[in-house]
Amino acid sequence: MKKVSLMVLSIMFLGLMITPLAIAEKAEDNYKLYCFQCHGSKGNGGGINAASLSTAPRDHTSATEMKKLSDDNIFTAIKEGGAAVSKSTFMPPWKSILTDAEIKDMVKHLHGLCKC
Amino acid sequence: MKSLKILISLIVFALFLSVGIGNSIAADGKAVVDSKKCGGCHKMQGPPDKTIADVLKRKAPDLFYAGSKFKEAWLVGFLQKPTMIRPAGTVYLNNIKMGEKKDEIGDVKPCASALSKDDAEAVTKYLMTLKEPTMKAGVIVDDTFSKAKAKVLFGQKEGCSGCHRDKADSGGTSCPTLYNAGERLNPDWIFDFLKNPQKYDPKIWMPRRELSDEDFMLLAKFIASMK
Repeated sequence: MKKVSLMVLSIMFLGLMITPLAIAEKAEDNYKLYCFQCHGSKGNGGGINAASLSTAPRDHTSATEMKKLSDDNIFTAIKEGGAAVSKSTFMPPWKSILTDAEIKDMVKHLHGLCKC
Repeated sequence: MKSLKILISLIVFALFLSVGIGNSIAADGKAVVDSKKCGGCHKMQGPPDKTIADVLKRKAPDLFYAGSKFKEAWLVGFLQKPTMIRPAGTVYLNNIKMGEKKDEIGDVKPCASALSKDDAEAVTKYLMTLKEPTMKAGVIVDDTFSKAKAKVLFGQKEGCSGCHRDKADSGGTSCPTLYNAGERLNPDWIFDFLKNPQKYDPKIWMPRRELSDEDFMLLAKFIASMK
């Protein structure tokens, strides 16, 4: 019995060692690494990829534009991609990188950018 | 019968010798990698970076799965004359000039350590020994596919050209160029990477797509055809 418990504990420990632990990042840092490339360092849609996109990336600093979107809509767009909210397919689904909690933080971060 | 035995012995000996020589060249390549301090910029062994802070310290692409990723012939040429594969550098975020209206790519240069032909061949032999153990080989066995379907998937459904240059003068710049990917990349690796980029690089700015194996295969073959 003791041997079995030891074996189970060992397997659990090994599992912990092998499973990559998802490390939660700050919304500001996630925005820099993942969003700057299209939405730009100012969040106004002026990223280095913007010129190659047939649909201009959303201007996160525009209160007029951002107020049109609900938090659920923004959350889904980030998690599932633009196509999930009938927007551009150039906006990919970020759920393989960002957790739900990180996406919720990102929605708050966007409200900070548009001051809305 | 005797001559057959001699022939078999010779073949076995030649195979043994060639494996020995191959290992020896790879060892020479490792020595070159060490002496040139390639590990100062490239990660030569896993695991990959797990935090954004670590990614931002990255100076050059990870090489600990180079043997799964690259084509041998391309590596030999590249190591003698490195070129820019990522228009905005290894980590684009470290190389952009942040403007009020728009950002621009700053000053980025290819690796300055060009190798001699002999060193490039030895280093290639060594790099080809660095494999991703979970990657399946022999998945892509032919190069037949519907180019029309692939173009729709690549350009419209998945928007790959938004971040990757699919032509020398068009496409995004935050990720590696793809218009010459077929010369550079092993098709099996393209397939494996597309299926789960985060397996190779948990914080890479290319998220995983939910596609069927058939569509991943189509994309991989299309990218592998870009030469």
